[in-house]
Amino acid sequence: MRIAVCAPQVPFIRGGAEIVGDDLVEELRKRGHETELVTVPFKWYPGERVLTQAFLWRLLDLEEADGAPIDLVIATKFPSYAVRHSNKVVWLLHQFRQAYELDRTDLGQFDESPEQRAVRRGVHQLDRLSLGEAKKLFAISQNVADRLERSTGLVPEVLPPPPQELPYYCDKYGDFVLSVGRIDRAKRVELLLEALAADTSLRCVIAGEGPDRERLEQLARQRGLDGRARFTGRVSEEELADLYASCLAVYYAPVDEDFGLVPYEAFLAEKPVVTTTDAGGPLEVVRDHSTGLVVEPTATALAEACTWLAGHLDSAREWGRAGKLEAERLSWDHTIERLLV
Amino acid sequence: MKVAYYSPLPPERSGIADYSALLLPALARRIEVAVARRGSRRAPRGADLALYHVGNDPEHHWWIVEALRKRPGVVVLHDFVLHHLVAGMTLGRNEGNGYLDAMQREAGAVGRMLAHGVIDGLLPPVWEHRAHEFPLTGEVLPFASGVIVHSRYAERRVREHGYAGPVWRIPHPAWPAPADLPAADLPSGRFVIGAFGHLNRAKRLPQLLEAFALVRERVPEALLLLVGPLAPGLEPELPEGAIHHGYVDEQRLWSLLAAADVSVSLRWPTMGETSGVVVRALSLGKPLVVSDVGWFADLPDELAVKVPVGGAEVEVLADTLAGLARDPARRQAMGTAAHALAEGEHELERVAEAYTAALEEAAGGEALRDAVTAEVAAAAAETGLRPGGEGLGEIAERLREVGGGR
Repeated sequence: MRIAVCAPQVPFIRGGAEIVGDDLVEELRKRGHETELVTVPFKWYPGERVLTQAFLWRLLDLEEADGAPIDLVIATKFPSYAVRHSNKVVWLLHQFRQAYELDRTDLGQFDESPEQRAVRRGVHQLDRLSLGEAKKLFAISQNVADRLERSTGLVPEVLPPPPQELPYYCDKYGDFVLSVGRIDRAKRVELLLEALAADTSLRCVIAGEGPDRERLEQLARQRGLDGRARFTGRVSEEELADLYASCLAVYYAPVDEDFGLVPYEAFLAEKPVVTTTDAGGPLEVVRDHSTGLVVEPTATALAEACTWLAGHLDSAREWGRAGKLEAERLSWDHTIERLLV
Repeated sequence: MKVAYYSPLPPERSGIADYSALLLPALARRIEVAVARRGSRRAPRGADLALYHVGNDPEHHWWIVEALRKRPGVVVLHDFVLHHLVAGMTLGRNEGNGYLDAMQREAGAVGRMLAHGVIDGLLPPVWEHRAHEFPLTGEVLPFASGVIVHSRYAERRVREHGYAGPVWRIPHPAWPAPADLPAADLPSGRFVIGAFGHLNRAKRLPQLLEAFALVRERVPEALLLLVGPLAPGLEPELPEGAIHHGYVDEQRLWSLLAAADVSVSLRWPTMGETSGVVVRALSLGKPLVVSDVGWFADLPDELAVKVPVGGAEVEVLADTLAGLARDPARRQAMGTAAHALAEGEHELERVAEAYTAALEEAAGGEALRDAVTAEVAAAAAETGLRPGGEGLGEIAERLREVGGGR
């Protein structure tokens, strides 16, 4: 089959969505499908640009390429699913969240002017049209599925993406909590730093890059964390696997996250995950006292959880291994079988 | 965003006043709402948009239409047929020429001649029996920057009328059924068929009474409960087993509705309206029997039996009611479906959210369309695409899908 996997590209930014897109292409190719990743750069501000950029996708003609038909389009996230195709499947990573649950929050983008409100409604209309015309609709998590149903009435099948392939292993339950991912406000790394400030016995490593890094490094200095919080920047796959292998646990508590690959990656290294009650998608896989700890989103509660784990390594090991069993259940065979049904 | 809100409000006795009383608090939780005072000539200050609730009753809506004509805005069209309203705002003020002109706009020379006949007393008033043939909705629609309707039927009529602006279909919000209703004090052990609201020919009262007499032959325990004031000149002889209450207050209405085993809402002609009584019956989970016309025909079959108007209407109605009397399981299933509809698409917060979406689209929509179109048009021109070319045709179509273009 000739398949176009559609995903927007934000130049110079790479995160979980990009990993899922690349992995999907690779896995489809492994199974003999002629597959191409189709991307268009995406900029969602200012004002109505979010719609003019979506319009670019709407105008694309992916019915065929160089005279040969494209049999299937798999679109992933906004605005790539605006693409028109007679056999369009959407595997929804997320909608344009600023137009939905992030509206009127610190993470929103639309002000109260009639023009901005109308742009937001324009995104809603486009979603109803472009998602409604998909032949099949999948969501990467129940959280994303619920949001979609609330906003459009469409009910997708939940199909989580398998974690990226890394040389995962478990070396020890060390003396630091690991945070992995793009460093922006929504990932809430700040809470981890505040937990370190609340308990001087804790240490953390923050792996990743992002626009909030400078502010967080300054915060770490202000809180006098004195080297207990280490920012590594972007790391190689091997370095990341080593960090997973030697940490005590993995902290992952974005605000109402779509899904998050990080918990599964932690599990594959047999590490428990500490998250918060408002984290969204991660709560579908991180179960309190089963595969990790789920705490209130306060520095004190987080600090207590991490300290408790440091004193109960047997539990950390047991929960990490339980998580691993869950993570191993996700397979690309199953995912691709569903996407191509 | 601030919206100037024009509507009759309690204590005015009007279904639309009740509607707004229900909707306003939920809407005000989402957007800033400035309620216009009845009869006020001045629009609330600083509003980005005006919202006008328009119904067919001139007493409640004349000032709203006057305000609309001064400042176009979004119209909530509660009735599609506005003949009464227009007649009241013209003939009711001794402005015969206004009525003549409106009828001419509606139906050309024939309309004008008909209006002359009415004014001269040579013909019966059009609004009494033929309003649906001359809806006069064109007296309002040209001033609407967008239209909100409650039903597919009204949406279809608005489009058939040639209205090209945005139309939003937003269901009538459902009142939550009150808890702890006092007993209705009806005779016990009866199969209660309820008909509520103003009782007139358009509610098919003669047909209902005739059908009920047939029902009684097969279901002796049937009781017909008529609730609402009788239209002037209508003095029906009630068959045995029928009782009539005139105007009742809201709580009593709920009690009597709750006591009914089935709620009957017949209609012809229809003005394209929704029925507040039917919406209340949905909240109470009552099986419905309705005429197969207008908004009533849009109701899902699982909860409403639809009776065709004319022909064997009386017999079908009698068969339907007798059948429901003997089939409590079906009534139960219909009631469950009715309640689910009230809690689904008629749920107040959902309706308020749909209003907010419509108003936000209306307030900023034009500026958005201009901005999107300008950016794309500039790119198209720089690419060498020229007006009239095939490429621009497709661009225009795709643009509409993302909220640009016209």
